[in-house]
Amino acid sequence: MSGLRRRDFLKLGAAGAASALGVPARGGAQANEVVMLGLWSFTGAFADVGPILDRGMRMALEERGMKAQGKPIKYVTRDDETKAGSATRRAEEAVDGEAVKYIIGPWSSGVALAVSEVAKRKKVLHYFSGGTEDISGARCHRYSFQWAASPYTAAKTVVDTFMKANPRAKRWHLLVADYAFGWSVEKYVKEVGKTHGIEFVGADRHPLGEREFSNYVTKAAGNKPDVVAMVNFGLDTVTAAREIFNFGLTPKIPLILTWSSGVEELVQLSPEMRENMWVGSNFYYTADTPVAKEFVKNYQAKFGNPPGYAPAAAYGMTRMVLHGMDRARSTDHVDVIKALEGIEVEDLVGKMRVDAKTHQTLRPYFFMRCKKKDAMQHPTDFADIVATGSTPLPPEYSACKDIGSL
Amino acid sequence: MNPSLLFSQILNGIVTGMLYALMGIGLSIITGILNIPNFAHGALFALGAYLIYTVIQALGNFWLALAVAPLGVALLGLLIEYAGIRPLYRAGHDYQLLLTFGLSLIITEGIIVVWGPIGMSQLPPALLRGGVDLGITIYPKYRLFVMAMAGLLVLGAWLFLEKTRYGAIMRAGIEDKEMVSLLGIDIHRLFTAAFGLGAYLAGISGALTAPIRGLNPLMGVDMLGIAFVVVALGGLGNLPGAIVAGLMIGVAQSLVALVWPEASVAVIFAVMAAVLLVRPQGLFGIR
Repeated sequence: MSGLRRRDFLKLGAAGAASALGVPARGGAQANEVVMLGLWSFTGAFADVGPILDRGMRMALEERGMKAQGKPIKYVTRDDETKAGSATRRAEEAVDGEAVKYIIGPWSSGVALAVSEVAKRKKVLHYFSGGTEDISGARCHRYSFQWAASPYTAAKTVVDTFMKANPRAKRWHLLVADYAFGWSVEKYVKEVGKTHGIEFVGADRHPLGEREFSNYVTKAAGNKPDVVAMVNFGLDTVTAAREIFNFGLTPKIPLILTWSSGVEELVQLSPEMRENMWVGSNFYYTADTPVAKEFVKNYQAKFGNPPGYAPAAAYGMTRMVLHGMDRARSTDHVDVIKALEGIEVEDLVGKMRVDAKTHQTLRPYFFMRCKKKDAMQHPTDFADIVATGSTPLPPEYSACKDIGSL
Repeated sequence: MNPSLLFSQILNGIVTGMLYALMGIGLSIITGILNIPNFAHGALFALGAYLIYTVIQALGNFWLALAVAPLGVALLGLLIEYAGIRPLYRAGHDYQLLLTFGLSLIITEGIIVVWGPIGMSQLPPALLRGGVDLGITIYPKYRLFVMAMAGLLVLGAWLFLEKTRYGAIMRAGIEDKEMVSLLGIDIHRLFTAAFGLGAYLAGISGALTAPIRGLNPLMGVDMLGIAFVVVALGGLGNLPGAIVAGLMIGVAQSLVALVWPEASVAVIFAVMAAVLLVRPQGLFGIR
């Protein structure tokens, strides 16, 4: 018999039972260690995105040799299950049990708003990237930061650029995901649309995880729009775009994905379905910046395909936190929060600045036009970037009037 | 209300309803005869979609693929019953239920291993791309084909169960297995055939759905839930019940989406709750 004693066996059994019940071992942080949490969806509606978000964050940390200001970084992850309840529970547990001071994620806007409240209560730094404007708007506070462009910046880039190229396409039908992100982007698409005299002939909202879009597409077709614009994400976008093609709307009329994950969605559609598709995104892998080029090269070498918005956001958010540590010359999260406020760096998508008053990262937003099948140079040559825009949210629209104190 | 829109929505409802009915009939036969809820039914649906995609890639012919892919799923169904469920008859229903649940996870993970976690698209065959003008509305050709094909399959299943000797044995098996067994009929062979037929119907539903909804490894999860609703609504083991229930859910979903899109998923369960409150045994069920 091996040297396993009864007491060791009981310990192992207890640890096994704890892990089976989803209770993590309470390791805690070593003194001098910086603990960062990647809060990603490994199950639930965004389960497909969790692993690639993890890749992005890991790459950013590994580039620094898992160190910040000479201290080792301990990277821990938790599954938010794409549910607010699970995300807040796991975030609190990680803060209490692992001494986490930095939370990156989660991916869903609705879930992130709940996690932002945890960050505020536990006084830890939280960086998020997504379509809700509330993180840097109505529910802003000193501990949460937003990496994605403001929905206003996105809407302005998409609508202005598209209308410049198609000035007569004034009848728009909107298809919107019915949750925090959809509402935010829809509001500004309509707001910016007014300045171009766009008539919104229909605006339907669908639940997250909708799989039967024929009904919505029939309605859209009935409105005889010049354009169908969607404000949804992930599998919802892919399923709807496929149905819009099957009904013969595209490529006859343009389809705009106003807030897309880019590569992750486009790869799921055949080239015929992508024809006459216009795509707005917080990242596209042909972005012409030194950081993006290096990131894309390394990502492709490691995983064989170009990165989309999800791994880029995780990578970009982690880099911003590390920039904050550099500027603060400290890993104390309160110092890092102060250092991030007003920071200006040339990073993944170009010039990036954090607005100290709202914690919104001011940065470019990308707008692409998909290529026809015969114009594609290789299987992932999906689109050309036709514009980038960085018009910030006008202060009068901002709902973040007082970001408060630490 | 715009009559063209209303007509299109009813057509949409019939197409999706036919697919729901096909799934429901397959699940109803398996559940009715074997007395176990087949939790792998959704995964078999997904497998049908992935197999048609692969056969099209290999042979470049949609029609051949449509003939071959569901047979592959049916073969797997036969194997599941023969090698998996049959040895567990003595162990009780709980074990068979756990087995089908485990198989659903294995098939889904198998799809991820073979085809990857990211979804894919399958175009309809060239002949069926684009729309056709029906006078009142323009409607996708492929959806009309699915409506006709699913209709033929439902009719075929009905003729088989109602007009053939083996179909009569299957119906008798749903009513009273012991009596069928006492009459000298090989009940185990009946169980295997029922599972194979149910799997075939799940596989062909998946294959027909692939060009409409595309492919992703979890595509069977939603469909499994709907198939259970169809069985509960239509009455266990009841073929006309499954057809009516499938169509009822499909059309209700379409019409609700017209006036209240946010409720288009919830309406499936609202219809089920409403019917079961009035008829707990389902529309046509007797148990």
